[in-house]
Amino acid sequence: MSHFTLYTYVLSASCYKVRLMAALLGVPYDSVAVNFYPGFEHRSEAMLALNPWGTLPILRAGDLVLTETQAMLGWLATNHDPTGRWYPAADPALGPQVLQWLGLAARLTGSAGLARLHAILDWPVDGEAVRKAALKDLQELELLLTDRVLAGQTWLVGDHPTIADIACFPHAALSPDAGLEHDGFPAIRNWLYAVRSLPGFVTMPGIHELHELREREPADPQ
Amino acid sequence: MPSMPVGLSRDLPPKRVMRASVGGQDIVVWRASNGDIAAWDNRCPHRGMALSHGFVRGNALACLYHGWHYEQSGRCSYIPAHPDLDPPATIHTTRFGVTERDGVIWVDTTDTAKPGMLTEPLDPLRSLIAEVSEAAVEAACHSTPFEGEMPQPSGSGLYALGTIRLALLTNPLGPNRTQVTVLTSPGLSLQTRLALSRWCETLRRNAEATGTGGA
Ligand SMILES: N[C@H](CCC(=O)N[C@@H](CS)C(=O)NCC(=O)O)C(=O)O
Ligand code: FES
Repeated sequence: MSHFTLYTYVLSASCYKVRLMAALLGVPYDSVAVNFYPGFEHRSEAMLALNPWGTLPILRAGDLVLTETQAMLGWLATNHDPTGRWYPAADPALGPQVLQWLGLAARLTGSAGLARLHAILDWPVDGEAVRKAALKDLQELELLLTDRVLAGQTWLVGDHPTIADIACFPHAALSPDAGLEHDGFPAIRNWLYAVRSLPGFVTMPGIHELHELREREPADPQ
Repeated sequence: MPSMPVGLSRDLPPKRVMRASVGGQDIVVWRASNGDIAAWDNRCPHRGMALSHGFVRGNALACLYHGWHYEQSGRCSYIPAHPDLDPPATIHTTRFGVTERDGVIWVDTTDTAKPGMLTEPLDPLRSLIAEVSEAAVEAACHSTPFEGEMPQPSGSGLYALGTIRLALLTNPLGPNRTQVTVLTSPGLSLQTRLALSRWCETLRRNAEATGTGGA
């Protein structure tokens, strides 16, 4: 049974964020493909009636319409994760940390996300400025992930992946599309790998699956 | 060229691949399932694809493009399009010397890797890239205090920060790009290590503000 409808575009990292969370939680949904580029269909009258902000993705579940991806992740986890681990909202220590990361994820959308749209679709923004902002945001992400590594941890918050990891993952993973390679970011690299290793992980153009996990040779000791 | 530090051992777990650079040479560094490490020219002998996009299969590195496998010796061990062929020994990657010491991966593009130059036991802290020259990083290190103490140089990239010993290893990646590997005295508290990681960030900012590559 389908639990929601997602208006989505295949090359959008923000849309992928929601598809990934739904896949990891095993939540079935219906997709409506929107011609974001070159059609700019997300700015059509019909789409603006649904989402006056003119952005993608849009999540609709009955009367509920969500237009912010961070809220969509929260909705998915609150309604479809019986373990409560993906969004420990009520935990006094972990809950606020997750919210902090959701805010930083929105920053990444405005820096790395725009830098990528500029690089791949020639989006009309100051390419140099957004690239610079993206580099700075990635440096801060690297610093905070290094804190986690030094503390012996893998995920952004607590000892289980949360919606915070999924919210930050796509734009960090796709930054090479904008010429921001991961060579100088070992902590980001290893965290991206950990996300890609999660059971149920799905891909998008530019983020492929881990071949080493897909087919195993008999000679492979693992 | 002597051995250059290209990253921390802890940042390259088994079955993982990373890209590195020494003296302008593009390098793939990878670790097999059994923990052994290798460093090669980052070009697949088949059609030149960057091997750093490849993946580890057991104790071989597989190229992402056509899936040729190379074992740690560099020899091609498997060609998927010709599964029954034993690939000729002439098909092999260009290998470089690589060693691990003090938690650091050292690569030598000219010779067998000589272990690094550290003269005392230190713990790896982190490795990062600054968008400035090597000289600018070193200059900033002399003028970036940690908890009120100015680093005192004691030779070969070693500094004293109060009671803490710190090594700042640099690997120039270009005129305005430097890889920095930082090690500290062993046994520091987590709190001190987190503070030192932030000091690295301040060091980078100071270097980038004053160095040739500064904004
Ligand atoms: N509401 C934001 C929107 C995400 C976003 O920026 N989406 C891009 C596509 S990846 C978009 O719709 N841009 C609209 C436009 O600039 O026309 C979020 O949830 O993070
Ligand atoms: S280029 Fe590597 S296998 Fe063909």
